[in-house]
Amino acid sequence: MLSRVADSLYWMARYLERAEHTSRLIAVKLESMIEQSTEDARASWARVAVALATDGVAADDDDIFAITQRLAFDRANPSSLLSSLRMARDNARQVREQLSTEVWEHLNRLYLRLQPVTIESTWVHQPARVFRESLEELQTLEGVTFSTLRHGEGWHFLELGRYIERAQLVSRLLDIHFGVDAPGYAEPPPPPKYLDWLVLLKFCTAFEPYCKEYTAAIRPERIAEFLLFDPEFPHSVKFAVDRVRDALARVAPGAPPSRRAACERLAGRLKAAVDFGQIDELIGGSIDAFLVEITHQCEQIHEAVYTAYIAYGAETVL
Amino acid sequence: MQHETLVHAEDMGSPDGVLLPVPPVRLGRDAPYANYALGAAFDEMFSSDGDVRDHCAALHGRLATLPPEELIRRQQACEQSFLQQGITFTVYSDKQATERIIPTDLLPRLVTAAEWERVDRGLKQRIRALNMFLRDIYTDGRVLKDGVVPRPMIYGSKHYRREMRGLPVPHGAYVNVCGTDLVRREDGAFVVLEDNLRVPSGVSYMLANREVVRRAFPGVFRAAGVRAIDHYPQELLATLKSLAPFQEDVSIAVLTPGVFNSAYFEHAFLARQMGVELVEGRDLLINDNVVFARTTSGLKRIDVIYRRVDDDFIDPLIFREDSSLGVPGIFNAYRAGNVVIANALGTGVADDKAVYAYVPHLIRYYLSEEPILDNVETYLCREPKQLGYVLANLDKLVVKAVGESGGYGMLVGPHASVAEREAFALKLKADPENYIAQPTIQLSTAPTFVDGGVEARHVDLRPFILHGEKTTIVPGGLTRVALRRGSLVVNSSQGGGSKDTWVLSA
Repeated sequence: MLSRVADSLYWMARYLERAEHTSRLIAVKLESMIEQSTEDARASWARVAVALATDGVAADDDDIFAITQRLAFDRANPSSLLSSLRMARDNARQVREQLSTEVWEHLNRLYLRLQPVTIESTWVHQPARVFRESLEELQTLEGVTFSTLRHGEGWHFLELGRYIERAQLVSRLLDIHFGVDAPGYAEPPPPPKYLDWLVLLKFCTAFEPYCKEYTAAIRPERIAEFLLFDPEFPHSVKFAVDRVRDALARVAPGAPPSRRAACERLAGRLKAAVDFGQIDELIGGSIDAFLVEITHQCEQIHEAVYTAYIAYGAETVL
Repeated sequence: MQHETLVHAEDMGSPDGVLLPVPPVRLGRDAPYANYALGAAFDEMFSSDGDVRDHCAALHGRLATLPPEELIRRQQACEQSFLQQGITFTVYSDKQATERIIPTDLLPRLVTAAEWERVDRGLKQRIRALNMFLRDIYTDGRVLKDGVVPRPMIYGSKHYRREMRGLPVPHGAYVNVCGTDLVRREDGAFVVLEDNLRVPSGVSYMLANREVVRRAFPGVFRAAGVRAIDHYPQELLATLKSLAPFQEDVSIAVLTPGVFNSAYFEHAFLARQMGVELVEGRDLLINDNVVFARTTSGLKRIDVIYRRVDDDFIDPLIFREDSSLGVPGIFNAYRAGNVVIANALGTGVADDKAVYAYVPHLIRYYLSEEPILDNVETYLCREPKQLGYVLANLDKLVVKAVGESGGYGMLVGPHASVAEREAFALKLKADPENYIAQPTIQLSTAPTFVDGGVEARHVDLRPFILHGEKTTIVPGGLTRVALRRGSLVVNSSQGGGSKDTWVLSA
């Protein structure tokens, strides 16, 4: 597979994952805020703003309309929903010949449908609806991709992008809810309350799976354990890390072991960290450092992939 | 006036075999033909006295039985389909980039089997002669020594590539993909308006139009016996493969300037349909005069490149050094015979306006045959007799400067003032070699869906000729249509659209 193509597929998947995450966070937040006091809702929105901000720092507005505008519809914000969709589609367009017609047309249709949408047009009636719809379309796209694309190298680059992004996004959400020094806020919000924990689960589509595993008894350390270490839940960090490692084992099948070594070592190290992590050691102690470390290791894997497969110099292989 | 009173109805969802009566429809009076005006030009559907041509009767009747809302709905379905497929080009205006579709007209343009047979033979003859001409001027120059074509016209052309001299190309095939623009004269005969021998585009529209229009008129389509064109990508692949020095495991790639090129959709489409790699210049590198693509698993050798990048941009070491679209060193790899580039470089010398006028002579010179397809009558001002005729008839002719394009250095006689014509006559006399003249051409008109009705609009036809070990033309082409009433300009940049072209099997 051409390196440029692998690069585009990888980024297409990352942007789609980001778009899905953004849609879900905003939809869940808009739906849940009606049950919160003004103050709690404000704190909760501040967390969303930090979770979705490009540089991890929330802008200093606390108006829900403005926050939603910035996170969803602001084209100048590189991580807004519309920007993510546009980037995903631009990348898909560059590798159009590698995608199935179904995948391309589904993504293109979604893009064309959301392009003209403005916050003014959604805000009057059920503002959450457009985000729910976008979420459903993105999940459908995942299914269409699964069932119409060959599960070859291109598919594994999509998986790699999706799960590296997911591991980082979920880690960040956990950091925002469990972290002690609460980074990124102009003014630190009060600690999460009962409803905030429910919302956190819903941010990760984890409410029902969590209840099945632990019953409906909402306990923060169990939530952390579930979202970090559950091996079978698709939005847990462990699940994402396992997929990253699997994908790395299958991309670039013709590359010699010497070129594969760095990526595989890094993926193995990350997997070990998650496999052998203990929630009781982390809670009330080193969870901030642990989550930062996971994000950091994801970035290292990203760089190793680029060095080995995407942006290598010709002199290294001749 | 009706040839048939019944048409097949299955494209409205009725079961097979149901026939609908066609109401009487008067041209220029009744919907949907109320605004259909016949002019001096040949009309594809109606003869000059308003009778429906036999081969168009089914389509004509079908249009008369469909309610206008239904036609509009089908037109919208076509447009929607193009948008969803991303068959668009981007228009950049202040800050905003807007994507537009090239308008596709719902109504197909029909070509009879007999007409096509002649077009097919004529185009094959023409491409053979043009390839022999290119081989000649890049080797012995016999045609120049024999005085058939003036030497300065070739060696002075900015599209003549000295670098290509003496370089063998597989099967002597310089032009592997050619798009020739045909128009109909007022007598209905197809004549050649222009050869496109460099990187002709539009074939993806030919195929995409077929997809949507077939869906819009399934009944008429099936009944008409339309010849298939869907195998174009396979034929293109076979042509490219035939250019390789070996036939096992040939590694082929389509070279595109990238996603910002207006024909990018087509490049991606062809690569996908052929199942070959789509590459950009930055994906390729040259080592030891061999072309490699950078892949995740390492470097992969490329044997044949179907390039959609112009000569000027393909190798910054040899041609334009400011080009970032090309591949430094690729020309040396080509010269070393390690990669085939299709079309070959330097083919542009054979499609300029002056050489065009010589093509009938070239056919006689190389093939000892009479041209099957005529040129549009062209007067070469470099020849004194013809210059005399041009000067005497400036009010009837279009005069074009040979080296210019885009309407520069041009005189449209019928629309010019006496003073303008006199001034132009002086320029002509001072530098006759630089000018050619042609009569104004009335392109034929074809039924086109406009504002809920059917009106006559001018069209041309661009078939695509593939030439490698053998010559192949899929029966069809891109019909371009001038959507503005009376306009003769079919270019998409100036309000042109396109139509599906149905070549009938009988």
